[in-house]
Amino acid sequence: MTLLGDNLLPVVELEAVHVLFDNTCALDIERLSIAQAERVFVLGRSGSGKTTLSRIIKGRLAPSTGKATVLQSLLHKQSTDRSGAHTRRIAMIDQEFYLIPRLSVIDNILSGCLGRVSTWKSIFDWYPECELEKAEGILREVDLDGLGDRRVETLSGGQRQRTAIARALMQEADIILADEPISNLDPELAEDALELLIDCVLRRSVTLIVNLHQPALARRFASRIIGLSKGEVVYDGIPEDFTEEAAKFLYQANGNGDTVIKMSVNTGAVSPGS
Amino acid sequence: MTRLRNRWYKRTAVRFALCLLALALFIWSLRWSEFDLVLLFGAAPRLAEFFSRLVPPDWSVTTLVLKSTIETMMITVAGTFLAVVVSIPLGFLAASNVSPAWISHPVRWILGVIRSVPLIVVALIFVAAVGLGPFPGLLAITFHSIGMLSKFYAEEFETAEEGIINAVRGTGASWLQTLRFGLIPQCVPQMVFFTIYRFEMNFRDAAVLGLVGAGGIGYYIQLYVRGFQYEKVAVLLLVIIIVVTLLDQLTYWVRRLVR
Repeated sequence: MTLLGDNLLPVVELEAVHVLFDNTCALDIERLSIAQAERVFVLGRSGSGKTTLSRIIKGRLAPSTGKATVLQSLLHKQSTDRSGAHTRRIAMIDQEFYLIPRLSVIDNILSGCLGRVSTWKSIFDWYPECELEKAEGILREVDLDGLGDRRVETLSGGQRQRTAIARALMQEADIILADEPISNLDPELAEDALELLIDCVLRRSVTLIVNLHQPALARRFASRIIGLSKGEVVYDGIPEDFTEEAAKFLYQANGNGDTVIKMSVNTGAVSPGS
Repeated sequence: MTRLRNRWYKRTAVRFALCLLALALFIWSLRWSEFDLVLLFGAAPRLAEFFSRLVPPDWSVTTLVLKSTIETMMITVAGTFLAVVVSIPLGFLAASNVSPAWISHPVRWILGVIRSVPLIVVALIFVAAVGLGPFPGLLAITFHSIGMLSKFYAEEFETAEEGIINAVRGTGASWLQTLRFGLIPQCVPQMVFFTIYRFEMNFRDAAVLGLVGAGGIGYYIQLYVRGFQYEKVAVLLLVIIIVVTLLDQLTYWVRRLVR
């Protein structure tokens, strides 16, 4: 239950980060720091800035002003680190999964290691022995035993989800970013998939950042919850303090709702750096 | 009710006008091409005579015809291969989601220019450049195919799901790896389909190229037709029909295999 433990390095540090889309503010974060091995669940309505935040962390988007440091690389307007070396250290699980449909499960998992193998060998599907073993191990870990040679396009939604998780694990990244990873699954499958992801993450020292719409699941699996509204952090604390009431406020549409939450949660929440 | 009824009148009026316009264009073009039914029916006896002179086929030319058909087939195979090898990278250059506009636009324009040169002109140029025989035919087929294949490939690349490409790039994959795993697997079935389609077209094109001295079966077509040796033309036609039918079947099987 560490919230930025003293001995752990911050993997993400945002300082006065603003993102403007067509002169409207999509993200406005004074200070945000995420430590290694945290399980951060980011909650908020659609359009609250969750996806923008993950794109900043992935390095796909540069902040309009401010400083974003991810894994010791400074990402600001002048220099976004789009090099393969940096990209590789942040794995992404997208809502749509974006697997390669005509390739097999195992080939999709193997594509997770593209950033660290020889381009020319991989072009001809040649991977080092150790990578093949890793892929086999992960296939078992996500419970897809025996489905390795099946084409992804023939899989069910839950199986695709597990393939997507497996590819992210194969990447051996320092951060796993999951942007609404379970929105396309039915509630029961969604919970199983999230549980599997958490189990896999707990076996590694990887930092997990999940964008989600289900406060109940966040409370169950998170080590820290961040609530976003209109691009601002309105809640930041341990899941135990994230009450039903706070969740209700976060998902309410009315304009002054966010100020109410800000006041109501600041009493119990621990905000990093304070 | 009246609103919907009025909508019907308006729509029907527009459709009627469009049909009239198409009909006018059709009649105009027929007159321009000197279409003449009387002449066509008057020619019936001559056509009948032509067909009657096809039998019995003169089988003595069979070996010669088979040999030149194989030559045409080889021109087709080699030409299509070469065209594919050049068209894949050109397709990447012409695809707006792979290459920046300052590359893709000029490449597209060049491909358009290549497509607009008639095959027979291409063949004549290459015959003049490298002499008679199958080699100028091969060059002409390759050059002509590149214009179409590259465009088809590029358009196919552009339909690829952006999210998958980004997901592959997101693993830290290099540019080449991203194309190999993010783009190509999505496009393979359509690329195979286009390539086979072009292959079939190339066989028919290559069969004609002999007319200008660029090798293959075409040389004998013009030789026998101009020499009124219809019994030999019959053998030629028969062989071409058989080969094209076999190609059709082959196409069908390959398409079923690649999915």
